[in-house]
Amino acid sequence: MADKVVVTGLAAHSAFGRGSSALLARAFTGEPAFGDVTRFDAAARRTTVAATMPGTPVLADELVSVIEDASRVAGLAGAPDCPLLLAGHADRANIATAAEVARRVGLAVPARTYTAACVAATTAVADAAAMIATGRQDRVVVAAGFIVAEDIFALFDAGRALARDGRVRPFSAGRQGMVLGDAFAAVVLESATSAALRGADVLVTLAGWGRSGDAYHVCQPRPDGTGLARAITAALTKAEVEADEVGYVNANGTGTLFNDSAEAAALHIALGDAVGRIPVSSTKSVHGHALEASGLLELVCTVLALRSGRLPVNAGFLGVDDDCLLDLIVDEPRATDARYALSVNAAFGGANTALLVGAP
Amino acid sequence: MLTRAAGPVVLARGEWPAGPVDVPGSLPQIAGFVVSAFNPLVAQAAERCLAAHYGAPPADPPTTRTGVVLASVRGDTATADAVTAALRAGRRVPPLLFFQSNPNAVVGYVTARWGLAGPVACTSPAGDPLTDGLAVAALLIEDSAADQVLVIAADLATDDTESDHAVAVLVGP
Repeated sequence: MADKVVVTGLAAHSAFGRGSSALLARAFTGEPAFGDVTRFDAAARRTTVAATMPGTPVLADELVSVIEDASRVAGLAGAPDCPLLLAGHADRANIATAAEVARRVGLAVPARTYTAACVAATTAVADAAAMIATGRQDRVVVAAGFIVAEDIFALFDAGRALARDGRVRPFSAGRQGMVLGDAFAAVVLESATSAALRGADVLVTLAGWGRSGDAYHVCQPRPDGTGLARAITAALTKAEVEADEVGYVNANGTGTLFNDSAEAAALHIALGDAVGRIPVSSTKSVHGHALEASGLLELVCTVLALRSGRLPVNAGFLGVDDDCLLDLIVDEPRATDARYALSVNAAFGGANTALLVGAP
Repeated sequence: MLTRAAGPVVLARGEWPAGPVDVPGSLPQIAGFVVSAFNPLVAQAAERCLAAHYGAPPADPPTTRTGVVLASVRGDTATADAVTAALRAGRRVPPLLFFQSNPNAVVGYVTARWGLAGPVACTSPAGDPLTDGLAVAALLIEDSAADQVLVIAADLATDDTESDHAVAVLVGP
Protein backbone atom coordinates (compact mmCIF):
# COMPACT_ATOMS: atom_id res chain seq x y z
CA MET A 1 0.00 0.00 0.00
CA ALA A 2 1.28 3.45 -0.90
CA ASP A 3 2.56 5.54 1.97
CA LYS A 4 0.57 8.64 2.87
CA VAL A 5 1.94 11.99 1.72
CA VAL A 6 2.11 14.69 4.38
CA VAL A 7 3.12 18.33 4.53
CA THR A 8 5.70 19.04 7.22
CA GLY A 9 6.88 22.49 6.17
CA LEU A 10 5.57 25.50 4.34
CA ALA A 11 6.33 29.18 3.87
CA ALA A 12 5.11 32.04 1.74
CA HIS A 13 6.20 35.54 0.84
CA SER A 14 3.64 37.83 -0.75
CA ALA A 15 2.58 41.46 -0.90
CA PHE A 16 1.31 40.93 2.67
CA GLY A 17 4.88 40.36 3.79
CA ARG A 18 7.19 37.47 4.52
CA GLY A 19 5.71 34.63 6.51
CA SER A 20 2.40 32.98 7.25
CA SER A 21 1.33 35.27 10.06
CA ALA A 22 0.84 38.21 7.69
CA LEU A 23 -1.38 36.10 5.46
CA LEU A 24 -3.48 34.95 8.40
CA ALA A 25 -3.76 38.40 9.92
CA ARG A 26 -4.62 40.45 6.85
CA ALA A 27 -5.38 38.31 3.84
CA PHE A 28 -7.94 36.14 5.59
CA THR A 29 -10.06 39.16 6.56
CA GLY A 30 -10.47 40.11 2.92
CA GLU A 31 -8.14 43.09 2.93
CA PRO A 32 -6.51 43.18 -0.51
CA ALA A 33 -2.82 43.98 -0.86
CA PHE A 34 -3.41 45.90 -4.07
CA GLY A 35 -1.86 49.24 -4.93
CA ASP A 36 -0.25 51.19 -7.72
CA VAL A 37 2.81 49.54 -9.21
CA THR A 38 5.95 51.56 -8.60
CA ARG A 39 8.74 49.23 -9.76
CA PHE A 40 8.07 50.15 -13.42
CA ASP A 41 6.05 52.72 -15.28
CA ALA A 42 2.54 51.34 -15.83
CA ALA A 43 0.96 54.66 -16.78
CA ALA A 44 0.36 53.57 -20.36
CA ARG A 45 -1.57 50.48 -19.31
CA ARG A 46 -5.31 50.15 -18.77
CA THR A 47 -4.67 49.65 -15.05
CA THR A 48 -1.74 50.46 -12.79
CA VAL A 49 -2.66 48.11 -9.93
CA ALA A 50 -0.95 44.96 -8.66
CA ALA A 51 -0.10 43.29 -5.35
CA THR A 52 3.60 43.89 -4.98
CA MET A 53 6.20 43.48 -2.29
CA PRO A 54 8.31 46.56 -1.53
CA GLY A 55 11.07 47.26 -4.04
CA THR A 56 11.99 44.75 -6.71
CA PRO A 57 12.46 41.26 -5.32
CA VAL A 58 15.22 39.09 -6.78
CA LEU A 59 13.80 35.71 -7.83
CA ALA A 60 16.69 33.51 -6.65
CA ASP A 61 17.04 35.39 -3.34
CA GLU A 62 13.35 35.02 -2.52
CA LEU A 63 13.26 31.35 -3.53
CA VAL A 64 16.25 30.61 -1.31
CA SER A 65 14.64 32.48 1.57
CA VAL A 66 11.26 30.77 1.26
CA ILE A 67 12.83 27.31 0.91
CA GLU A 68 14.91 27.93 4.04
CA ASP A 69 11.80 29.11 5.90
CA ALA A 70 9.79 26.03 4.88
CA SER A 71 12.68 23.74 5.84
CA ARG A 72 12.88 25.41 9.23
CA VAL A 73 9.15 24.88 9.79
CA ALA A 74 9.67 21.23 8.83
CA GLY A 75 12.34 20.93 11.51
CA LEU A 76 15.05 20.27 8.98
CA ALA A 77 18.13 22.10 10.15
CA GLY A 78 20.35 22.99 7.21
CA ALA A 79 19.59 21.44 3.84
CA PRO A 80 16.50 19.22 3.75
CA ASP A 81 18.46 16.51 1.85
CA CYS A 82 15.94 15.65 -0.87
CA PRO A 83 15.00 16.57 -4.44
CA LEU A 84 13.87 20.11 -5.18
CA LEU A 85 11.20 20.92 -7.77
CA LEU A 86 10.74 24.52 -8.91
CA ALA A 87 7.91 26.27 -10.73
CA GLY A 88 8.20 29.52 -12.63
CA HIS A 89 7.66 31.29 -15.90
CA ALA A 90 9.02 29.58 -19.01
CA ASP A 91 12.26 31.47 -19.42
CA ARG A 92 15.70 30.92 -20.92
CA ALA A 93 17.19 31.73 -17.51
CA ASN A 94 15.41 28.88 -15.71
CA ILE A 95 18.38 26.50 -15.72
CA ALA A 96 20.71 29.12 -14.28
CA THR A 97 18.16 30.18 -11.65
CA ALA A 98 17.48 26.59 -10.63
CA ALA A 99 21.21 25.87 -10.35
CA GLU A 100 21.82 28.97 -8.23
CA VAL A 101 18.91 28.27 -5.88
CA ALA A 102 19.92 24.62 -5.47
CA ARG A 103 23.52 25.55 -4.72
CA ARG A 104 22.54 28.15 -2.14
CA VAL A 105 20.13 25.85 -0.28
CA GLY A 106 22.48 22.88 -0.51
CA LEU A 107 20.33 20.65 -2.71
CA ALA A 108 20.90 18.90 -6.02
CA VAL A 109 20.02 20.89 -9.13
CA PRO A 110 16.31 20.30 -9.87
CA ALA A 111 15.59 18.01 -12.80
CA ARG A 112 13.22 20.60 -14.19
CA THR A 113 11.33 23.81 -13.59
CA TYR A 114 7.57 23.43 -14.07
CA THR A 115 6.26 26.10 -16.43
CA ALA A 116 2.63 25.15 -17.12
CA ALA A 117 1.28 28.65 -16.48
CA CYS A 118 -1.24 28.84 -13.63
CA VAL A 119 -0.95 25.13 -12.76
CA ALA A 120 2.86 25.05 -12.86
CA ALA A 121 3.34 24.88 -9.09
CA THR A 122 0.42 22.58 -8.40
CA THR A 123 1.61 20.22 -11.13
CA ALA A 124 4.98 20.15 -9.36
CA VAL A 125 3.18 19.34 -6.09
CA ALA A 126 1.26 16.52 -7.77
CA ASP A 127 4.48 15.11 -9.23
CA ALA A 128 6.21 15.40 -5.86
CA ALA A 129 3.31 13.59 -4.21
CA ALA A 130 3.44 10.89 -6.88
CA MET A 131 7.19 10.46 -6.32
CA ILE A 132 6.54 9.88 -2.62
CA ALA A 133 3.43 7.72 -3.05
CA THR A 134 5.22 5.45 -5.53
CA GLY A 135 8.16 5.04 -3.16
CA ARG A 136 10.66 6.88 -5.36
CA GLN A 137 11.37 9.52 -2.74
CA ASP A 138 10.82 9.98 0.99
CA ARG A 139 10.77 13.76 0.83
CA VAL A 140 10.51 16.46 -1.86
CA VAL A 141 10.65 20.24 -1.58
CA VAL A 142 8.53 22.24 -4.03
CA ALA A 143 9.07 25.97 -4.45
CA ALA A 144 7.66 28.54 -6.82
CA GLY A 145 8.14 32.21 -7.52
CA PHE A 146 6.54 34.97 -9.54
CA ILE A 147 7.47 38.64 -9.66
CA VAL A 148 5.19 41.22 -11.22
CA ALA A 149 7.44 42.50 -14.01
CA GLU A 150 6.95 45.01 -16.78
CA ASP A 151 6.82 42.47 -19.60
CA ILE A 152 4.22 40.21 -18.01
CA PHE A 153 2.18 43.21 -16.92
CA ALA A 154 2.23 44.58 -20.47
CA LEU A 155 1.25 41.18 -21.91
CA PHE A 156 -1.72 40.77 -19.59
CA ASP A 157 -2.73 44.36 -20.25
CA ALA A 158 -2.55 43.76 -24.01
CA GLY A 159 -4.69 40.66 -23.59
CA ARG A 160 -7.24 42.72 -21.63
CA ALA A 161 -7.00 40.23 -18.80
CA LEU A 162 -6.47 42.78 -16.01
CA ALA A 163 -9.33 44.31 -14.04
CA ARG A 164 -9.62 47.98 -14.91
CA ASP A 165 -11.15 48.69 -11.51
CA GLY A 166 -8.08 47.27 -9.77
CA ARG A 167 -9.99 44.59 -7.83
CA VAL A 168 -10.34 40.84 -8.21
CA ARG A 169 -13.99 39.89 -7.74
CA PRO A 170 -14.16 36.10 -8.01
CA PHE A 171 -17.58 34.67 -8.86
CA SER A 172 -19.15 38.12 -8.48
CA ALA A 173 -21.44 40.03 -10.75
CA GLY A 174 -19.47 42.87 -12.33
CA ARG A 175 -16.11 41.11 -12.20
CA GLN A 176 -13.60 42.57 -14.63
CA GLY A 177 -10.57 40.29 -14.52
CA MET A 178 -7.31 39.68 -12.74
CA VAL A 179 -4.86 41.65 -10.64
CA LEU A 180 -1.32 40.30 -10.72
CA GLY A 181 0.58 39.67 -7.49
CA ASP A 182 4.09 38.74 -6.32
CA ALA A 183 4.40 35.38 -4.62
CA PHE A 184 7.06 32.98 -3.44
CA ALA A 185 6.08 29.81 -1.67
CA ALA A 186 7.61 26.51 -0.66
CA VAL A 187 6.30 23.28 0.83
CA VAL A 188 8.06 20.24 2.23
CA LEU A 189 6.24 17.05 1.24
CA GLU A 190 7.18 13.85 2.95
CA SER A 191 6.03 10.28 3.40
CA ALA A 192 4.16 9.75 6.64
CA THR A 193 6.71 7.11 7.55
CA SER A 194 9.63 9.46 7.00
CA ALA A 195 7.97 12.19 9.05
CA ALA A 196 7.18 9.77 11.87
CA LEU A 197 10.71 8.35 11.91
CA ARG A 198 12.22 11.75 12.53
CA GLY A 199 9.42 12.90 14.84
CA ALA A 200 8.34 15.73 12.58
CA ASP A 201 5.07 17.57 13.13
CA VAL A 202 2.59 16.87 10.35
CA LEU A 203 0.82 20.06 9.31
CA VAL A 204 -1.70 18.34 7.00
CA THR A 205 -1.91 15.28 4.81
CA LEU A 206 -1.90 15.73 1.06
CA ALA A 207 -4.76 13.29 0.86
CA GLY A 208 -5.36 13.46 -2.87
CA TRP A 209 -4.27 15.11 -6.08
CA GLY A 210 -5.78 15.12 -9.53
CA ARG A 211 -5.06 16.65 -12.92
CA SER A 212 -6.86 16.77 -16.22
CA GLY A 213 -7.05 18.55 -19.54
CA ASP A 214 -9.96 20.26 -21.25
CA ALA A 215 -8.99 19.47 -24.88
CA TYR A 216 -10.94 22.58 -25.73
CA HIS A 217 -9.06 25.84 -26.48
CA VAL A 218 -5.68 27.56 -26.35
CA CYS A 219 -6.70 29.92 -23.57
CA GLN A 220 -10.35 29.52 -22.60
CA PRO A 221 -11.62 26.92 -20.16
CA ARG A 222 -14.20 24.36 -21.27
CA PRO A 223 -17.39 26.27 -20.34
CA ASP A 224 -19.25 23.25 -19.00
CA GLY A 225 -16.52 22.61 -16.41
CA THR A 226 -16.24 18.91 -17.20
CA GLY A 227 -12.45 19.01 -17.58
CA LEU A 228 -11.79 20.67 -14.23
CA ALA A 229 -14.43 18.46 -12.60
CA ARG A 230 -12.40 15.38 -13.58
CA ALA A 231 -9.35 16.75 -11.78
CA ILE A 232 -11.39 17.38 -8.61
CA THR A 233 -13.00 13.94 -8.81
CA ALA A 234 -9.59 12.33 -9.31
CA ALA A 235 -8.28 14.01 -6.15
CA LEU A 236 -11.29 12.89 -4.11
CA THR A 237 -11.09 9.36 -5.51
CA LYS A 238 -7.39 9.05 -4.75
CA ALA A 239 -8.08 10.17 -1.17
CA GLU A 240 -11.19 7.98 -0.86
CA VAL A 241 -12.99 11.07 0.44
CA GLU A 242 -16.63 11.85 -0.31
CA ALA A 243 -17.66 15.31 -1.49
CA ASP A 244 -19.63 16.00 1.68
CA GLU A 245 -16.47 15.52 3.75
CA VAL A 246 -14.90 18.58 2.06
CA GLY A 247 -15.27 21.64 4.24
CA TYR A 248 -13.63 24.35 2.14
CA VAL A 249 -12.61 25.09 -1.43
CA ASN A 250 -9.89 27.61 -2.21
CA ALA A 251 -11.03 28.18 -5.77
CA ASN A 252 -8.99 29.19 -8.79
CA GLY A 253 -11.37 32.18 -8.95
CA THR A 254 -9.41 34.50 -11.22
CA GLY A 255 -12.19 37.06 -11.42
CA THR A 256 -12.45 36.63 -15.17
CA LEU A 257 -15.80 36.08 -16.83
CA PHE A 258 -14.90 32.77 -18.47
CA ASN A 259 -12.97 31.13 -15.65
CA ASP A 260 -15.35 31.70 -12.81
CA SER A 261 -18.50 30.42 -14.50
CA ALA A 262 -16.67 27.32 -15.83
CA GLU A 263 -15.18 26.68 -12.40
CA ALA A 264 -18.55 27.01 -10.67
CA ALA A 265 -19.92 24.47 -13.14
CA ALA A 266 -17.01 22.16 -12.37
CA LEU A 267 -17.58 22.41 -8.62
CA HIS A 268 -21.26 21.56 -9.10
CA ILE A 269 -20.39 18.50 -11.21
CA ALA A 270 -17.63 17.20 -8.95
CA LEU A 271 -19.21 17.95 -5.57
CA GLY A 272 -22.83 17.29 -6.49
CA ASP A 273 -25.47 18.20 -3.94
CA ALA A 274 -22.79 18.90 -1.33
CA VAL A 275 -21.61 21.99 -3.21
CA GLY A 276 -24.27 24.18 -1.62
CA ARG A 277 -22.92 23.34 1.85
CA ILE A 278 -19.20 23.85 1.12
CA PRO A 279 -17.75 27.32 1.77
CA VAL A 280 -15.77 28.69 -1.18
CA SER A 281 -13.40 31.59 -1.59
CA SER A 282 -10.59 32.56 -3.91
CA THR A 283 -7.62 34.02 -2.09
CA LYS A 284 -6.55 35.61 -5.37
CA SER A 285 -9.10 38.24 -4.33
CA VAL A 286 -6.54 39.53 -1.83
CA HIS A 287 -3.05 38.38 -2.92
CA GLY A 288 -3.68 38.65 -6.64
CA HIS A 289 -2.78 36.18 -9.35
CA ALA A 290 0.82 35.01 -9.08
CA LEU A 291 0.57 32.92 -12.28
CA GLU A 292 3.06 30.02 -12.10
CA ALA A 293 3.44 30.45 -8.31
CA SER A 294 -0.17 31.18 -7.45
CA GLY A 295 -1.24 27.60 -6.86
CA LEU A 296 1.46 27.11 -4.24
CA LEU A 297 0.56 30.31 -2.38
CA GLU A 298 -3.07 29.17 -2.49
CA LEU A 299 -2.11 25.75 -1.16
CA VAL A 300 -0.34 27.48 1.75
CA CYS A 301 -3.48 29.57 2.39
CA THR A 302 -5.60 26.40 2.28
CA VAL A 303 -3.38 24.64 4.82
CA LEU A 304 -3.43 27.72 7.07
CA ALA A 305 -7.22 27.80 6.84
CA LEU A 306 -7.59 24.17 7.83
CA ARG A 307 -5.11 24.47 10.69
CA SER A 308 -6.47 27.76 12.05
CA GLY A 309 -10.13 26.75 11.73
CA ARG A 310 -10.73 30.03 9.93
CA LEU A 311 -11.71 30.31 6.28
CA PRO A 312 -10.56 33.34 4.27
CA VAL A 313 -12.91 35.85 2.70
CA ASN A 314 -13.69 35.98 -1.01
CA ALA A 315 -13.04 39.72 -1.28
CA GLY A 316 -14.46 42.17 -3.77
CA PHE A 317 -17.88 40.61 -4.00
CA LEU A 318 -20.49 42.95 -5.47
CA GLY A 319 -23.46 40.68 -6.04
CA VAL A 320 -24.68 37.29 -7.18
CA ASP A 321 -23.91 35.99 -10.65
CA ASP A 322 -26.43 33.30 -11.53
CA ASP A 323 -23.69 31.40 -13.37
CA CYS A 324 -21.61 31.20 -10.18
CA LEU A 325 -23.99 29.97 -7.47
CA LEU A 326 -21.68 28.89 -4.66
CA ASP A 327 -21.55 29.29 -0.86
CA LEU A 328 -19.09 32.18 -1.04
CA ILE A 329 -17.49 33.59 2.12
CA VAL A 330 -18.14 37.25 1.44
CA ASP A 331 -18.22 39.22 4.70
CA GLU A 332 -15.82 37.91 7.28
CA PRO A 333 -13.71 34.81 7.87
CA ARG A 334 -15.83 31.81 8.69
CA ALA A 335 -15.07 29.38 11.51
CA THR A 336 -14.67 25.76 10.49
CA ASP A 337 -13.88 22.36 11.89
CA ALA A 338 -13.46 20.91 8.40
CA ARG A 339 -11.24 17.87 8.03
CA TYR A 340 -10.65 18.30 4.29
CA ALA A 341 -10.10 21.26 1.98
CA LEU A 342 -9.57 21.53 -1.76
CA SER A 343 -7.27 23.89 -3.63
CA VAL A 344 -8.32 24.12 -7.27
CA ASN A 345 -6.38 25.61 -10.20
CA ALA A 346 -6.84 25.93 -13.93
CA ALA A 347 -4.64 27.33 -16.65
CA PHE A 348 -4.32 28.25 -20.30
CA GLY A 349 -4.41 25.30 -22.60
CA GLY A 350 -7.10 23.67 -20.46
CA ALA A 351 -4.72 22.35 -17.81
CA ASN A 352 -6.43 21.66 -14.47
CA THR A 353 -5.29 20.52 -11.03
CA ALA A 354 -6.94 19.82 -7.69
CA LEU A 355 -5.12 19.24 -4.40
CA LEU A 356 -6.97 17.86 -1.38
CA VAL A 357 -5.47 18.46 2.05
CA GLY A 358 -6.65 16.78 5.23
CA ALA A 359 -6.27 17.40 8.94
CA PRO A 360 -3.50 15.16 10.29
CA MET B 1 12.06 -14.90 -16.88
CA LEU B 2 9.92 -11.80 -16.42
CA THR B 3 11.75 -8.57 -15.78
CA ARG B 4 10.38 -5.27 -14.52
CA ALA B 5 9.54 -3.01 -17.45
CA ALA B 6 12.10 -0.25 -17.93
CA GLY B 7 9.32 2.28 -18.51
CA PRO B 8 6.66 3.23 -21.00
CA VAL B 9 7.10 1.98 -24.57
CA VAL B 10 7.09 4.24 -27.62
CA LEU B 11 3.89 3.86 -29.64
CA ALA B 12 4.62 6.52 -32.28
CA ARG B 13 7.15 9.20 -33.07
CA GLY B 14 7.30 12.39 -35.11
CA GLU B 15 9.86 15.14 -35.46
CA TRP B 16 10.77 18.37 -37.17
CA PRO B 17 12.96 18.66 -39.15
CA ALA B 18 12.65 15.13 -40.54
CA GLY B 19 14.21 15.62 -43.96
CA PRO B 20 15.55 18.08 -46.49
CA VAL B 21 12.14 19.64 -47.16
CA ASP B 22 11.88 20.76 -43.54
CA VAL B 23 13.68 24.05 -43.91
CA PRO B 24 13.24 27.27 -41.92
CA GLY B 25 10.00 28.98 -42.89
CA SER B 26 8.29 25.78 -44.04
CA LEU B 27 6.40 25.03 -40.84
CA PRO B 28 2.62 25.28 -41.28
CA GLN B 29 1.29 28.34 -39.47
CA ILE B 30 -1.33 27.97 -36.74
CA ALA B 31 -4.24 30.40 -36.64
CA GLY B 32 -3.85 32.82 -33.74
CA PHE B 33 -0.14 32.23 -33.23
CA VAL B 34 2.24 34.88 -34.57
CA VAL B 35 5.86 36.04 -34.64
CA SER B 36 7.54 32.93 -33.27
CA ALA B 37 8.31 29.54 -34.84
CA PHE B 38 8.09 27.86 -31.44
CA ASN B 39 4.38 27.08 -31.49
CA PRO B 40 4.22 25.82 -35.11
CA LEU B 41 7.29 23.72 -34.32
CA VAL B 42 5.61 22.06 -31.33
CA ALA B 43 2.37 21.57 -33.24
CA GLN B 44 4.06 20.01 -36.27
CA ALA B 45 6.07 17.47 -34.28
CA ALA B 46 2.91 16.54 -32.37
CA GLU B 47 0.93 16.32 -35.61
CA ARG B 48 3.40 13.93 -37.20
CA CYS B 49 3.49 11.71 -34.13
CA LEU B 50 -0.25 11.60 -33.56
CA ALA B 51 -1.04 11.13 -37.26
CA ALA B 52 1.29 8.13 -37.29
CA HIS B 53 -0.69 6.59 -34.46
CA TYR B 54 -4.27 7.74 -35.01
CA GLY B 55 -4.45 8.77 -38.67
CA ALA B 56 -6.47 11.95 -39.13
CA PRO B 57 -7.55 14.00 -36.08
CA PRO B 58 -9.24 13.71 -33.68
CA ALA B 59 -8.15 10.61 -31.80
CA ASP B 60 -10.89 8.04 -32.17
CA PRO B 61 -12.33 7.78 -29.62
CA PRO B 62 -11.37 11.03 -27.84
CA THR B 63 -9.62 10.15 -24.63
CA THR B 64 -9.34 11.57 -21.13
CA ARG B 65 -6.48 9.17 -20.43
CA THR B 66 -3.84 10.64 -22.77
CA GLY B 67 -1.75 13.38 -21.24
CA VAL B 68 0.73 15.80 -22.79
CA VAL B 69 4.18 16.83 -21.55
CA LEU B 70 5.95 19.70 -23.33
CA ALA B 71 9.61 19.97 -22.37
CA SER B 72 11.60 22.97 -23.58
CA VAL B 73 14.90 24.08 -22.11
CA ARG B 74 14.54 27.73 -23.08
CA GLY B 75 10.85 28.02 -23.97
CA ASP B 76 9.52 30.41 -26.59
CA THR B 77 12.42 32.82 -26.69
CA ALA B 78 11.17 34.48 -29.88
CA THR B 79 7.91 35.56 -28.25
CA ALA B 80 9.74 36.74 -25.14
CA ASP B 81 12.17 38.74 -27.27
CA ALA B 82 9.31 40.28 -29.27
CA VAL B 83 7.68 41.52 -26.06
CA THR B 84 10.97 42.95 -24.81
CA ALA B 85 11.60 44.67 -28.13
CA ALA B 86 8.12 46.23 -28.17
CA LEU B 87 8.57 47.59 -24.66
CA ARG B 88 12.02 48.99 -25.41
CA ALA B 89 10.72 50.72 -28.52
CA GLY B 90 7.70 52.10 -26.70
CA ARG B 91 5.42 50.16 -29.03
CA ARG B 92 2.17 48.44 -28.12
CA VAL B 93 2.56 44.77 -27.22
CA PRO B 94 0.57 42.74 -29.79
CA PRO B 95 -2.43 41.21 -27.98
CA LEU B 96 -1.89 37.78 -29.54
CA LEU B 97 1.44 37.51 -27.74
CA PHE B 98 -0.51 37.40 -24.48
CA PHE B 99 -2.03 34.07 -25.40
CA GLN B 100 1.18 32.48 -26.62
CA SER B 101 3.39 33.82 -23.84
CA ASN B 102 3.19 30.52 -22.00
CA PRO B 103 3.72 27.01 -23.37
CA ASN B 104 0.27 25.78 -22.36
CA ALA B 105 -1.37 27.63 -25.23
CA VAL B 106 0.05 25.49 -28.03
CA VAL B 107 -0.60 22.38 -25.95
CA GLY B 108 -4.22 23.54 -25.82
CA TYR B 109 -4.19 23.76 -29.61
CA VAL B 110 -2.85 20.20 -29.93
CA THR B 111 -5.18 18.70 -27.33
CA ALA B 112 -8.28 20.41 -28.72
CA ARG B 113 -7.44 19.29 -32.26
CA TRP B 114 -6.80 15.68 -31.24
CA GLY B 115 -9.25 15.31 -28.36
CA LEU B 116 -6.62 14.48 -25.76
CA ALA B 117 -8.02 15.43 -22.35
CA GLY B 118 -5.48 13.92 -19.95
CA PRO B 119 -3.12 15.91 -17.70
CA VAL B 120 -0.96 18.70 -19.16
CA ALA B 121 2.56 19.45 -17.95
CA CYS B 122 5.11 21.92 -19.34
CA THR B 123 8.69 22.04 -18.12
CA SER B 124 12.12 23.60 -18.53
CA PRO B 125 14.37 20.57 -17.98
CA ALA B 126 17.92 20.87 -16.72
CA GLY B 127 19.08 17.90 -18.79
CA ASP B 128 18.06 16.34 -22.10
CA PRO B 129 14.46 17.47 -22.65
CA LEU B 130 13.17 14.27 -24.26
CA THR B 131 14.69 12.11 -21.54
CA ASP B 132 13.23 14.30 -18.83
CA GLY B 133 9.86 14.54 -20.58
CA LEU B 134 9.73 10.75 -20.68
CA ALA B 135 10.48 10.63 -16.96
CA VAL B 136 7.54 12.97 -16.28
CA ALA B 137 5.36 10.79 -18.51
CA ALA B 138 6.42 7.62 -16.70
CA LEU B 139 5.45 9.18 -13.38
CA LEU B 140 2.03 10.22 -14.74
CA ILE B 141 1.39 6.66 -15.88
CA GLU B 142 2.67 5.09 -12.66
CA ASP B 143 0.52 7.53 -10.66
CA SER B 144 -2.51 6.34 -12.69
CA ALA B 145 -3.08 9.89 -13.94
CA ALA B 146 -2.80 8.77 -17.59
CA ASP B 147 -2.61 5.63 -19.71
CA GLN B 148 -0.69 7.27 -22.54
CA VAL B 149 1.35 10.46 -22.74
CA LEU B 150 2.42 12.55 -25.72
CA VAL B 151 5.88 13.88 -24.89
CA ILE B 152 7.14 16.81 -26.97
CA ALA B 153 10.69 18.14 -26.66
CA ALA B 154 11.14 21.39 -28.53
CA ASP B 155 13.60 24.26 -28.63
CA LEU B 156 14.33 27.09 -30.99
CA ALA B 157 17.82 27.38 -32.46
CA THR B 158 20.19 29.51 -30.41
CA ASP B 159 22.42 30.47 -33.35
CA ASP B 160 22.87 30.04 -37.08
CA THR B 161 24.73 26.75 -36.69
CA GLU B 162 21.69 24.85 -35.50
CA SER B 163 18.05 24.41 -36.48
CA ASP B 164 14.82 24.77 -34.57
CA HIS B 165 14.04 21.22 -33.58
CA ALA B 166 11.27 19.21 -31.98
CA VAL B 167 10.56 15.55 -31.40
CA ALA B 168 7.28 14.07 -30.21
CA VAL B 169 6.72 10.56 -28.94
CA LEU B 170 3.52 8.90 -27.80
CA VAL B 171 4.23 6.47 -24.99
CA GLY B 172 2.15 3.95 -23.15
CA PRO B 173 2.68 1.13 -20.69
